[in-house]
Amino acid sequence: MKTSIIGIGQTEFSTHSGRSELQLALEAILSALKDAGLEVNDIDGLVRYTWDNTTEAAIVNALGLPRLKYYGETEFGGVNCCGAIAQASAAIEAGLASCVVFYRALNARSGVRFGRGERILVEEGEHVVCHQPEPPGDIYSAPFGLLVPGQHHALYAQSYKGHYGLSDDAFAHMLGSVAVTQRGYANNNPRALLRDKKMTMDDYRNARVISEPLRIFDYCLETDGAMAIVLVSRERARQMNVKAVDILAAEQYIHPGSVPMFLYAKKTYSLVPEEAGDILFGKAQMSPSDIDVAMIYDATSMMVPLALEDFGFIGRGEAHDFLTSGGNAIDGNLPINTHGGLLSEGYFHGLNTIAEGVRQLRGESPNQVDAETVFMTLRGASSMIMGRA
Amino acid sequence: MNIRPGKEFLSQPYWRHLAEGTLHLNSCNDCGSSHHPPSPLCPKCHSFNTGWKPASGKGTLNSFSVIRHAVHPSLADKVPYIITLVDLEEGVRLVSGIPAGMDVDLEVGMPLECKVVKIDDEFALPYFVPVEND
Ligand SMILES: [Zn+2]
Repeated sequence: MKTSIIGIGQTEFSTHSGRSELQLALEAILSALKDAGLEVNDIDGLVRYTWDNTTEAAIVNALGLPRLKYYGETEFGGVNCCGAIAQASAAIEAGLASCVVFYRALNARSGVRFGRGERILVEEGEHVVCHQPEPPGDIYSAPFGLLVPGQHHALYAQSYKGHYGLSDDAFAHMLGSVAVTQRGYANNNPRALLRDKKMTMDDYRNARVISEPLRIFDYCLETDGAMAIVLVSRERARQMNVKAVDILAAEQYIHPGSVPMFLYAKKTYSLVPEEAGDILFGKAQMSPSDIDVAMIYDATSMMVPLALEDFGFIGRGEAHDFLTSGGNAIDGNLPINTHGGLLSEGYFHGLNTIAEGVRQLRGESPNQVDAETVFMTLRGASSMIMGRA
Repeated sequence: MNIRPGKEFLSQPYWRHLAEGTLHLNSCNDCGSSHHPPSPLCPKCHSFNTGWKPASGKGTLNSFSVIRHAVHPSLADKVPYIITLVDLEEGVRLVSGIPAGMDVDLEVGMPLECKVVKIDDEFALPYFVPVEND
């Protein structure tokens, strides 16, 4: 890829924004443009999730944009957030647009919640009915009470635990090492929703079980707010007086049964097509050992051990030892989710995960690492590598 | 209160067979492979000549979760309940569960067998339960 991120902007993370998703989107876009030192009329491309309730038309009209030359949409929400970066980059490289904004706005706590079945079920007379053909919460899952993404993550977790024969205690220690380490990062992050809430391993172990083997602290935070990311060509970024971060490679993947939700994928203890890591690192002409810090889309803590193994940072079955020995800590082999992650900072559907990678490479992280390269992935559905400009 | 697919789905062969008491799988009449969820095209040989055949009912446990937190009011009096992923002998995976009140000791990889549980005349569910040892 020959593109760069030159601006990031966001609203506050909250549980009750008190404003419309359109307003949140606009606030985030203006904030990202300001960060990039650009004017509204510089935007000529937009990329959004199909799951976003705001539309290209609403954004263009609200901004009074004279023209939009490219607008792209990507499916499956957060799992494809690196795919959205790939799409924006492809549009720029193909000359379809010169300055593309990728945004996401959601009242995911005060509005429709991903963690609740109300999103997909309707009451019809004496019955509770599902009309949804695809997971999560599809007609084949909902009657058994499998309704929300977090329950799918419990299935991956149990599959991994069973495949590698981990005891309850060892498994809790592994995931607790993710949750507790990330909470520590969030405690240093003034933006984080849980900046003031300390957590110990005992707190983690004693926490309420939601879907076995996952506890409440294994889950991300349903959040209100918005984030926007501005991309231009690397060539143009070099001519601007901005702190740019380069996209070195960005990929999206679907393999049979993998989306949505991996219900029908061959393996459920590994969530990536076999060749995904080779393709990604090959394009960046790097190997996992070249990566300084990783951002892993942690809808649940379970995504961290899976991504570490799936992309070859460690061997299969080695996640327990890596994580319980502090491999993801600030002084570990690979600091991970240094903003606190979706578990403890907030949840802008992966865009805040990208933003922390950008901050690390700009030297602006609340938990700064000497980072030249950042890896990021979303459960084997999309991934990317960013580099210091 | 049970959660069920809309009527537009219950009229389809998969659910009709279950309501009649048996699990049938969408299968290819040319190469014989089975698929789930149902599709008009066989993903193995790309034939549109697909139909339905009875499942053996034999499978193994791919994964499971004991759900302790009710994510919908209709589930408030059902928790804790168990959801499962089952790999069938025919090479397909099904989402399933353990019938309410059944005391089981689950382990990934254990053998399971199908037990179709009738909810009412229009609707039944394919549960999978541990194979009984003789
Ligand atoms: Zn066939």
